[in-house]
Amino acid sequence: MVYDLIIIGGGPAGITAGIYAARKKLKTLLITKEWGGQMTKAPEIQNWPGIKKISGIDLINKMIEHLKSFEIEIKEGKEVIDLDKKGDNFLVRDNDGTYEAKAVIIATGKIPRTLNIPGEEEFKGKGVSFCATCDAPMFKNKEVAVIGGGNAGFGTALDLVKYAKKVYILEFLEEMKGDPILKEKLEKTGKVEFQVNVAVKEIKGTKFVESLVYEDRKTSKDHELKVEGVFIAVGMMAKAEFAQKLVELNQIGEVVIDKDNYTKTPGIFAAGDISDIKYEQIVIAAGEGAKAALAATDYLKNKQ
Amino acid sequence: MIKVYSTPSCPYCVTLKNFLKEHNIQFEDIDVSQNEIAQKEMIEKSGQMGVPVADIDGEIVIGFDQDKIKKLLKLE
Repeated sequence: MVYDLIIIGGGPAGITAGIYAARKKLKTLLITKEWGGQMTKAPEIQNWPGIKKISGIDLINKMIEHLKSFEIEIKEGKEVIDLDKKGDNFLVRDNDGTYEAKAVIIATGKIPRTLNIPGEEEFKGKGVSFCATCDAPMFKNKEVAVIGGGNAGFGTALDLVKYAKKVYILEFLEEMKGDPILKEKLEKTGKVEFQVNVAVKEIKGTKFVESLVYEDRKTSKDHELKVEGVFIAVGMMAKAEFAQKLVELNQIGEVVIDKDNYTKTPGIFAAGDISDIKYEQIVIAAGEGAKAALAATDYLKNKQ
Repeated sequence: MIKVYSTPSCPYCVTLKNFLKEHNIQFEDIDVSQNEIAQKEMIEKSGQMGVPVADIDGEIVIGFDQDKIKKLLKLE
């Protein structure tokens, strides 16, 4: 079977693209590893028109429900690992199988950046976490470290101070980059210790995380910090290598698109945070998803 | 007997619970942010300090491992 369109990604861009494609009666398959991505971690969204205040989880659930009210095939919990050409069509492969379509929209968003240090992968879920809103409650009365002193790190620390006994915020650069207002809020809790010029080198433990090793970049000396949790908040990254045979990636791995969401290969479109657009917002991603679906519809019409 | 250990705001927990609901599978939804005893139980059973964890008739599933869940529940 050949689909008209395969959408890769289940965030606001992919879901909106799915809604538009379904309304255009395209035979559509949407494949996603998870729903919502980054937005599920937003405790409060106050800039989605029509809704004054809503949590990211509630908003994504509404979006999923809206999407599923249309005729669209969905594969969830699946990660796409390859995108290739087959004549005029495209082959999308996940761990399960290969699917063929006349057009593809890449809307996989961004994922948390990793440190690539020993112990990080090994202790994932065993003290290492990329999601404080998910896992903070596990660290009641424990000492934890947040890697990254930007707003993401400060937000992570704010989730953690509700539970943890002590929170270290470790920043690689010479100063914390996060907003002073958030920093003040954290200082007021009396639980937070800020450290700059810190290069984290290793996460250690047996069954669970027990400590981390860092180098003080001023003195070049190594130190060991006893913590049971390590929350990594060093920004987001684009990961679209699965498509690199057919699309151009910029220096930071984003898919290069034109103003109508076309990539360098006609028939492959990209939308939302995975693309090289400047501003990353839920409402923008949704709009970009709509644009990509409309562009794909035109592309399919012209191909006939 | 199926137990899902989760917290209110984690992406994979939502996906996992939606998946079970869509397949009309009943489960006990345990919010470990509100229940410390269940939290300890979850960590001991799974060796995990991250959610979600599902206990399907004594078999532990870590994260939203759709294939393993399908196999254990004999779906499809």
